[in-house]
Amino acid sequence: MSILVDQNTRAIVMGATGTEGTFWTEHMVNLGTHIIAAVTPGKEGEHVGDIPVYHSVRRALDSRAPDTQAIDTRGPVDAPADAAMLFVPPRFTKDAVFECLDAGIKLIVTVADGIPLHDALQIRSAALSCQAKVIGGNTSGIISPGKAMLGMFPYWIERVYKPGRIGVMTRSGSLTNEVTAMVVRAGFGVSTLVGVGGDPVPGMRFSEVLAEFEHDPETDAVVMIGELGGTMEEETAEMLESGAFSKPLVAFIGGRHAPKDRRMGHAGAIVSGGKGGALDKMRALEKAGALTAERASQVGILLAEALKSSSQGAASANSDRSSLSADSARGDSTRDRRYE
Amino acid sequence: MKLHEYQAKALFREFDIPTPQGELADTVEAAVNSGEHIGWPVAFKAQVLRGGRGKAGLVKIVQTPEEARTAAQAIFASDWKVRKILVEPAIAHERELYVSFSADSRTGTHLLLASAEGGVEIEDLARTAPEKILKKRIDSIRGIMPYQARSAAYDLGLAPSLAKGFASIIEKLYRLYVQKDCELAEINPLFVTPEGNFIAADAKISIDDNALFRHPEFEQDPADFDSDIAREAAVEGIPYLQFDGDISLMCAGAGLTTAVYDLVADFGGTVANYLEFGGPNYRKSVRAMELCIKNNPKVILIVTFGTIARADIMAEGIVEAIRRLKPNCPIVTCIRGTGEDKAREILLSAGLEPLTDTEEAVKKAVELAHIAYSTATERPTPAAASRQGGQP
Repeated sequence: MSILVDQNTRAIVMGATGTEGTFWTEHMVNLGTHIIAAVTPGKEGEHVGDIPVYHSVRRALDSRAPDTQAIDTRGPVDAPADAAMLFVPPRFTKDAVFECLDAGIKLIVTVADGIPLHDALQIRSAALSCQAKVIGGNTSGIISPGKAMLGMFPYWIERVYKPGRIGVMTRSGSLTNEVTAMVVRAGFGVSTLVGVGGDPVPGMRFSEVLAEFEHDPETDAVVMIGELGGTMEEETAEMLESGAFSKPLVAFIGGRHAPKDRRMGHAGAIVSGGKGGALDKMRALEKAGALTAERASQVGILLAEALKSSSQGAASANSDRSSLSADSARGDSTRDRRYE
Repeated sequence: MKLHEYQAKALFREFDIPTPQGELADTVEAAVNSGEHIGWPVAFKAQVLRGGRGKAGLVKIVQTPEEARTAAQAIFASDWKVRKILVEPAIAHERELYVSFSADSRTGTHLLLASAEGGVEIEDLARTAPEKILKKRIDSIRGIMPYQARSAAYDLGLAPSLAKGFASIIEKLYRLYVQKDCELAEINPLFVTPEGNFIAADAKISIDDNALFRHPEFEQDPADFDSDIAREAAVEGIPYLQFDGDISLMCAGAGLTTAVYDLVADFGGTVANYLEFGGPNYRKSVRAMELCIKNNPKVILIVTFGTIARADIMAEGIVEAIRRLKPNCPIVTCIRGTGEDKAREILLSAGLEPLTDTEEAVKKAVELAHIAYSTATERPTPAAASRQGGQP
């Protein structure tokens, strides 16, 4: 298993006809993601690869009848699509998210960088009241290596995107490659990687992703890549303290030396009113029992340590390693196919 | 984008929130004249975007022209680079209240904060007497309901005669906050005059940068940037922070750049600037390097691990930038991610050493910055730097 996306996910893509959208839609399909339709207003009748394009989400869903033959692990298939991937500019993202929510889609990934704050609040609010999950904006998306992705990940870089049993959640893109490479270097692989994004109001928060990882039998431990600003890291510390999350957690928090009241690249990365400092976050996490890495290079070592010391950890770590050879073989074949 | 007090108060007036009738002065003479014009005593308030101007002595009540001249001179001469003083009549008041709107990211709501004890920093009040701050969540889709503003006023214990006026100020401030896409809209203090009227004595407004496309009325004053380079970077849309150390960071990805910033400090180096040319800017290597060079850094440190930002395109851009700009300081490169094999070839063919480990790259940059100090008379060229780094 994995969380949020896997080979059973049936997704639509909004904005697949743009340059970036087309490029990454093809890669999502290459990795094994099941994309059933694309949506771009005004382009119904066109195709992106083999994927038909529709004017609206509703029209796409109505035209793609449920595949009654398909039975996925969660039971019979009753809806033509259960996820949406949005390659939509930030100023139109709120509209696109609401269109998906109104059509009943419960998992939406938006990569848009620069969603207005008040739009993001409304997106978060609407998602909560529909019990839907919105990932992003300002993220690379989600990937379950070897299975599927909704996002933009160079999954063919096998020293990063190796299937395995470690969950990764992150506020950053490039730093995630850096840290995940260390996870893989230490002999592990990734069950699912979730980019919650670098905005101050992400659609889905670390604590909510952590709850998913808690219930995933194929995730043994979680690596959290956080940074200064906001309270998401503190919320995960609370989950550790309350026992709501019971697996090992290794955290890397960027911005230990960041000056106050300066925005460090991401809109959400700012210490304001004396709150949200990286060191405070690290202290809260340590107090709750997480292992914290000062540098990316320490993450793999701490992970091995955490898994060894947790009771069933040793066994899981071993099985993780032994399953790797099979997984990496599959990874290779995927990569080769892509390069043909 | 933070607004100056005078700009925020202009917005208040637009939304029918009463403010003192002030005048803006940009010279000592103009400030004294405004005092005469308004009538003594007046308040001189330095227009700066940084917090803490009160403690720095940049807000003064002055009684006479002589006092005003001395105060204005001191304010303009301070190291806060004050360019404007807001001159306002001193307002008699009986109470100071607090009200603000901001975003609550966890619940996706707006947050109304109010207190009957305004005039102090809200963070200080939150620490010392959190029970004195009233919090109400406002549904971001439905908006504020009149009962919410009303009950805020009554919950603070205001008499019915005052509560009505306060509720009205709350609703007006909410309208401004939403219509202008604010991150923060704050009145602190909100004066209550002996006649029972409300006047916003101070105003703090910050506009969401991501929403500026729907607000052409806001334009950043060039003088409000940290440096000319920071302003140029902003025009280019490249995230940039000005520091005064040795190493220019030219990295892709905000999270990675922040992590590199930490490592530079860990290894004993200092940062000249934080520049992030990932995401939509990854084809702007030449422009990015140009901005870095303007800081006369001892080293330019390039670290990337791109996903959308392709390594090969960035490498090509960097080689092109070196060819065109001929930087006279060493350049350390650590470029990985999508297209990294091709990137490696491009860097090698240009005589650069393509490192693959971030820590190694940062250590090397810090080392080269120290070398630059010891051989201050002659700066090493990029090729020489590579040799120092152990390149055969």
